[in-house]
Amino acid sequence: MSALVERLREMHSPRTWLVLGIVFLALVAGVPFSGAPDYVVTLLGKFACYGMVAVAMDLIWGYAGILSLGHGVFFALGGYAMGMYLLLSIGEQGVYRSKLPDFMVFLDWKELPWFWRGMDDFGLALVVALVVPGLLAWVFGWFAFRSRIKGVYFSIITQALTFALMLLFFRNDTGFGGNNGLTNFKQIYGYPLADPSTKAGLYVFSVVFLFASYLLCRFLVTSRLGRILRAIRDAEGRLMFSGYDPKRYKLFVWVLSAVLCGVAGALYVPQVGIINPSEMQPSNSVEMAIWVAVGGRSTLLGAAVGALLVNAGKSWFTVAVPEAWLYVLGAIFIVVTLFLPRGVVGTLDRKGSLST
Amino acid sequence: MASSAPDLSAVAEPARRAPEAPPPASKKRLSGFGKKPKLDDARYDALVTKRKASLVVDNVSVSFDGFKALNQLTLVLDEGELRCLIGPNGAGKTTLMDVITGKTKPDEGHVLLVGDRRDLTELSEYEIVRLGIGRKFQRPTVFLGHTVFENLELSLAGDRGVFRSIFGRLTSSEKDRIADTLKTIGLTGAGARRAGELSHGQKQWLEIGMLLVQDPRVLLVDEPVAGMTHEETERTAELLTSLAGARTVVVVEHDMDFVRSLAKKVTVLHEGSVLAEGTLDQVKADPRVVEVYLGE
Repeated sequence: MSALVERLREMHSPRTWLVLGIVFLALVAGVPFSGAPDYVVTLLGKFACYGMVAVAMDLIWGYAGILSLGHGVFFALGGYAMGMYLLLSIGEQGVYRSKLPDFMVFLDWKELPWFWRGMDDFGLALVVALVVPGLLAWVFGWFAFRSRIKGVYFSIITQALTFALMLLFFRNDTGFGGNNGLTNFKQIYGYPLADPSTKAGLYVFSVVFLFASYLLCRFLVTSRLGRILRAIRDAEGRLMFSGYDPKRYKLFVWVLSAVLCGVAGALYVPQVGIINPSEMQPSNSVEMAIWVAVGGRSTLLGAAVGALLVNAGKSWFTVAVPEAWLYVLGAIFIVVTLFLPRGVVGTLDRKGSLST
Repeated sequence: MASSAPDLSAVAEPARRAPEAPPPASKKRLSGFGKKPKLDDARYDALVTKRKASLVVDNVSVSFDGFKALNQLTLVLDEGELRCLIGPNGAGKTTLMDVITGKTKPDEGHVLLVGDRRDLTELSEYEIVRLGIGRKFQRPTVFLGHTVFENLELSLAGDRGVFRSIFGRLTSSEKDRIADTLKTIGLTGAGARRAGELSHGQKQWLEIGMLLVQDPRVLLVDEPVAGMTHEETERTAELLTSLAGARTVVVVEHDMDFVRSLAKKVTVLHEGSVLAEGTLDQVKADPRVVEVYLGE
């Protein structure tokens, strides 16, 4: 018991725990009953999903020094798994009143492809949303880390990965609805998606998962694993001469990071109501890296805050001055890199109570 | 350093060896597998049973683009001895360290740690470390962003698995071990300091400390006193001498005074092979050694 308390204290000071607890309660219990309009609740739920992605990115980039510019692919795969469930769960309420999803009827397919079978089961869909991104990350990472591919070369290959999968998913023959993707969802686990309470529920789940992933990652980076990851980032060669095999550690956090993105994607899709290959655009993944840079690398919590800040800005700008957004995003990235190399939270957190 | 000075004989700097023109059939190694014969049991037994050896470097050759950095080098280190490796620049001292620690794969030859039948040249860097060979680099290499304590913690001998790294806690004996080591390397009270803040000499010592907690059977130390003050050098000599006995210590060094203060046995390398072996006085009296050192 005392070991547990000691461990919790290593993760955060009692004061930080208290602040985290209050923020968590305010978000989970406060927001849904605050009378905020549905679309705001759903928007915040979306931001929470982005925050999860940012935390997962920071785990590998901020700590292990692995910059992925293809994390959108793991997010999208989790989203597709959930989308498959949502689409099958509407039964025969589609436009064509068929058991098959509309796009399959349109393509004149007669039966479900093998990889769609069983996806009307919620539990299976959740498992697939975890396993498929994890498996892809494992295979990709195993080859990349074994070949000691690092730095910018690794980043470029991850861009290629997400681009290749985007092209694959754009094809109708691949079986995921081509460029339209999967949409027209009606319900999740029996709850109508249009219902405000369902929306609030999805939002609450997103916040809970965001905090859970933060705490999980914080637990990891305050353990010896975190110190090993930082050593990989700073002096990988030296670490090998201390008897460590860096690729095992890299593979572990890399796969974990991908799985967290898959979960985020699965929570995201029922809230936005659509998943299509544009989520795998290379630029989406680059944006994820910007969230982390803005919030502050190797702070984890900062990454989530960065995701919130950038996306709040995006929501505002794309309504007010849509054509300016990409320039603003670029400017933010340059300004942060030049003047706030430790990011917003990293700069504010002078005592370093959030970093390690 | 002084290699551009016209009068080489007046300079203590060892004569630099002009690389030979590459042989016509320059062997370019790509990845190294399938090239050299596997180590067989008979060879192993023949090598290790004749002496109380701890590390055997057997007939190792390494070439870089035709330049033979190591040329059929054979070296036997006894259990618990302190050996100094000296030799002019380009003699192959650092390459030899690289081969033993797995950083460079040789074209031919084997490296054996007695008690294990695997050929070290077939293993990766971290596997060799786990077998009990520790190395201190020429330039101090420590984890600059980590605290002194964390540097030692990471180097501590033990399970290197991912699971253990997440849930493992330092035992009190491990904490004592780190505290003892901090004392040995003169950094008591500095455990919470960032290693990047240490002075050059302190970093050298920290790296030696990291080797100590790793608990190796063989310690390879590359120019440990470079950049140290006279007093620090003396303390380093004392420390290295005290380490030998329980483990084999190999020191690469240029500073002859330091070598004299350390070693009973010295090996002189020249052009990738062993030129002479014996006490410092013996090798200094060897005309061949004098020749390569002074170019006379």
